[in-house]
Amino acid sequence: MICPRRIAGWLLGASLVAGCSGIKTYPDAMPKNLNIRTEASSGSAFGRMRVAVHIHQVDANCRTEYQGTVQLNEPSVQIGVPSDRLSYLVFSFSSSTFLGGSSSSISYETLLWPRAGHAYDARASYKDNIYHVEIRETDPRRSAGRTIERRRLDECRQRG
Amino acid sequence: MNMPLIMTLAGATVLLCGCVTQHPQNAEEFRKMAPGAFMVKVETHEVNRSLREIGATFRARAPECMNMRVTTTSQMPGSYQVIVSAYKPTVVVTDERAELHVQRHHEKGVLAVTKEPEGGYYLIVADAYPVDAKRSRLQIIGPSKGYDVIYRAIIGWATGKNLGCPDLAKIG
Repeated sequence: MICPRRIAGWLLGASLVAGCSGIKTYPDAMPKNLNIRTEASSGSAFGRMRVAVHIHQVDANCRTEYQGTVQLNEPSVQIGVPSDRLSYLVFSFSSSTFLGGSSSSISYETLLWPRAGHAYDARASYKDNIYHVEIRETDPRRSAGRTIERRRLDECRQRG
Repeated sequence: MNMPLIMTLAGATVLLCGCVTQHPQNAEEFRKMAPGAFMVKVETHEVNRSLREIGATFRARAPECMNMRVTTTSQMPGSYQVIVSAYKPTVVVTDERAELHVQRHHEKGVLAVTKEPEGGYYLIVADAYPVDAKRSRLQIIGPSKGYDVIYRAIIGWATGKNLGCPDLAKIG
């Protein structure tokens, strides 16, 4: 039988490790305006692919402040990103192998200024070592949407 | 990293210095060097898109997907290696062809044994030539092994069928 004290020790250790990683769960507090559809495959029976989006707030000086991470484990996940202000989204595709201990990660970053009353649909895919992220904006009053052009953080800084 | 491994790598580097006298310093030298070169292949594809369309896609996708720095880490018993590589794409579009050059500069973990062009050693050169108003011939010159994902990405951009980015952490 496992001693409760030992279980408490494991839980404490796990929470310490989680705290040290710097990753925190993005708060589920805002109206959901961003739907993310994810399709990812490592392409190997011995591999594992994890997709996540890290959300940062961006201030008037283009400084970022990490708000949290959403693990994109499900085919579709809905999150709330603050409207009428700038956010910085970092999609990360992390792969690892069960054998050999190798791992790698690649990310796609973009600035996003969600407009109030609009819905956003992102598609993040990783297949055969090729990844793609596309974000579309739709106005519920109109049927057609538009693709949001990727904007890097240095573009924010260049505009001042 | 342990000492025997460092000595082996140093020895291999010295030997390689003796084998490779110089690397191409521009895309044209790279094209000329390719036929018959060791571990280099030339792929040709016919694409049902115009030169202008291919050039536009190269211009849109190459900077977004390839202008980046990639860190790869490999860990084995007795060794731990970190390589930092900076990739630089260049797109040149003229009436004669649409060119995409990919260069790579190792910022950490790999020694440059010969003179390196500005922006890094040439890794891949892809050229699209017009066949007629709606079709083009795509030629890709690059390493024969380990870089398949870049070839597939460039073909996807040229055909317009897949605009995704190659995972540059998975090459080599």
